[in-house]
Amino acid sequence: MTSAPDLRPPSRPIKAAARFAKWQGRLAELAILCGIVLIFSVINPSNFPTVSNFNTILNNAAIPAILGVGASFVVLTGRIDLSIEGVMGAAGMTFVLLSANSRETMDLGWLALPIALALGAALGALTGAIHVVAKVPSFIVSLGMWYIGLGVAAMLFGYEMIPFLSNEAAVAWPTQTPLGVPNSFLVALLVVAAGWAIERYTRLGRFAYAIGNNEGVARLTGIAVGRYVVALFALAGVCSALAGVMGSLALGAGAANVGIGMLFLTLAAIVIGGTPLSGGKGGVLRTLVGVLILSTLYNGLILSGVDPSIQSGVSGLVLVAAVIVAGWPHRNRLKVFK
Amino acid sequence: MINATLSSAQAVVGAGQAILKLNGINKSFGALAAVRNLTLEIGRHEVVGLIGENGAGKSTLLKILTGVHQPDTGTIEVNGRGARFRSPLDAQGYGLGIVHQEQSLFTNLSVAENIVMGASADGAAATRGGVYRWGAINAEAQEVLSRIGSTIDPQSIVGDLTFAQRQMVEIARTIHVARRTAERNGGAPLVILDEPTSVLEKAEAEVLEQEIAKLRHLGSVIFVSHRLEEVLRICDRFVVMRHGEIVADQPTAGANESDLFRLMIGQDMQAKPKAATGDTKAKAVLTVNGLTRQGAYNNVSLTARAGRVTAIVGAFRSGREELCRTLFGAEDFDRGSFEIADKPVGRWSVRRAIKAGVAYLPAERGVEGVVGGLTAARNLTLAHPGAGRRFGFLSPLRRRRLAEGWFERLDVRPRQPGLELERFSGGNQQKVALAKWLLGRPKVLILDHPLRGLDPGASATVNQRIRDACAMGAAVILLADTLEEALELGHDILVMRDGAVSARFDLSYDTPTTRDLLEKMV
Repeated sequence: MTSAPDLRPPSRPIKAAARFAKWQGRLAELAILCGIVLIFSVINPSNFPTVSNFNTILNNAAIPAILGVGASFVVLTGRIDLSIEGVMGAAGMTFVLLSANSRETMDLGWLALPIALALGAALGALTGAIHVVAKVPSFIVSLGMWYIGLGVAAMLFGYEMIPFLSNEAAVAWPTQTPLGVPNSFLVALLVVAAGWAIERYTRLGRFAYAIGNNEGVARLTGIAVGRYVVALFALAGVCSALAGVMGSLALGAGAANVGIGMLFLTLAAIVIGGTPLSGGKGGVLRTLVGVLILSTLYNGLILSGVDPSIQSGVSGLVLVAAVIVAGWPHRNRLKVFK
Repeated sequence: MINATLSSAQAVVGAGQAILKLNGINKSFGALAAVRNLTLEIGRHEVVGLIGENGAGKSTLLKILTGVHQPDTGTIEVNGRGARFRSPLDAQGYGLGIVHQEQSLFTNLSVAENIVMGASADGAAATRGGVYRWGAINAEAQEVLSRIGSTIDPQSIVGDLTFAQRQMVEIARTIHVARRTAERNGGAPLVILDEPTSVLEKAEAEVLEQEIAKLRHLGSVIFVSHRLEEVLRICDRFVVMRHGEIVADQPTAGANESDLFRLMIGQDMQAKPKAATGDTKAKAVLTVNGLTRQGAYNNVSLTARAGRVTAIVGAFRSGREELCRTLFGAEDFDRGSFEIADKPVGRWSVRRAIKAGVAYLPAERGVEGVVGGLTAARNLTLAHPGAGRRFGFLSPLRRRRLAEGWFERLDVRPRQPGLELERFSGGNQQKVALAKWLLGRPKVLILDHPLRGLDPGASATVNQRIRDACAMGAAVILLADTLEEALELGHDILVMRDGAVSARFDLSYDTPTTRDLLEKMV
């Protein structure tokens, strides 16, 4: 027999190198985040690197981070959830109308929160179920659900006065910093931690990766792909609903468009963080980094006196650049003959 | 070797009890009988080799065994009890597992997850209430891996492994699932290995081969391979299929490779000398020098001359399809060069290839060859719209006249170029697809299985047009469906095996038989 191939595990140095390469891949986004922080600190030494400004950034990052956890799971399976803003509106409005408010509709106290979250779960599950059962692309179903959510919110809103939240302590709570960082960001961290645990330690999370990597094989392995997809959409709905509640607290009132602009921010953060829309790779920790990159960028641009209209262009460019960089090694594989 | 023979003999003796029994299985697709009256028994702890040419019915048999296809008639018994496989999961539930030619692993997950995933999907494995217990998962995978003698780290990511290592993981997973389900039903597992070594380097394949031999202790194995010497080394028994039937079922002891060849191809056919046709000294239109595409073909050189048909033959994964697609600019290459009409090729793409006079008739006609919703006439002028042009604009009248001419020449029926192409029969669609390229008077005409699915009449017409194209000075590269077709149409024959050219015949003076070709293919 001529030189036998090495079926043994690679030797230690190779393993270490592989591990380093893996970390390098993970650290790239963190390095970008640090770079952005550094650059803006140099440009705006007096305004940018202050505790109160960092708290502003973290507070702004909270809602997209919560949204990003749910949406990441959907994207991991190779699907997409565009209903974020609609579900936020419907759940946010539900929460406000079931809490003490200026219209005095109904005051269920803390019960308003689980009810709002349940509504989000139901809307998400409905999106997933229509997608799975009727075999309609998730893109279309969730696009429709976006406007259904907005419709539900508008219906609840009716033609009366804006419902302002009466509980001022609750309204002030998200931005308070008893532990050094805003409460809103602590909530986001809790959600990210829960998302990470699901991603790493549960069948729901692991199967999301499996489905995203190769759905055909997942089916042949006996994974009930449809059921898991519905569950993941429901999870995304819960996250969107929580984000809607947080957004309503920040506004201090109920508004159907509480989530406006969040869809782009969330999906961009997912992709920039390193979870490709094709699925199977990435995760919620990456999404958190992506969210921090974008909210730091927005904040820094404002402080640097950049025109808001240019900001939107810049964030678009960052997204395109991130996708090009992430897709560079695979560009040949995208070249198909058809 | 002596030891191996001894243990084989023991296994055969101990194989009294059949784990799988097929009785009179028939399966047809339309008029084509893919599997005919097939009866087969696999014993406990027996390793059975399954061989046959492309299209002999092996794949259909495997698909019936794995629940992808259901037999039209006949019965299947597993462990002495009647069984019916309605789906792949059904077959899995009976303790049957298959390792496919294309790997079916989750490349983004760890080795351990991949091995245990199949078993955990039914809720019986190292998860509790949907929560993973990584320690238990890794231990379980480690146990399976060491049982089949592999030392792969269960925690490594599958995407980082070599192809051979992945194949081992695939086998480990299949064995694991088959064993679990078989134990639950009180039977023994049966694992089907569908050409597991065909994509591996020789040395890698030899290691894998030893691992496969060890599987005997865990259950029964059906081993499909086109490497006959492997079948003889590993298996206790071999089964030969031809034209959908089992033509031989005997112990490997005492058999040699040439017996297997003879059984596989049946009637041997020899090339007729064709000294009169084709001109050996004709101008080289296409010259390929050491062309390489990693993982597809390696260091291929060939010369295609004007007026001659170069037939390339090879088995699955020989790399000949990829080579042709490269020449047409549809796939990249890594090393080497080629020139067309003495012009070296630099940056290459389908557009450039067409401009340089390369034409390509793809095998997947429906997907790549025709635009079904367009009329036949429009399809005809797709690649060379200039032919139907007048004053710089596409002229419907010219296009129509042009199409009518070609319809006449190729005998396309019905003679209605204005009809959508998808409404024509397959044979007539193929004629239009061919005419599309012929009207551009190609210098190099690449034909990827041009006669696939055509009836004899259509085949004869297409064959005649191929000869006409030659007469007009085109160099034709032909990927034939059968060896007979290659011998009949070709002037030069190139045999490819595992991505490399393994033999060349010039039919002006060589007269190889189909068996000669097959020997170089496998």
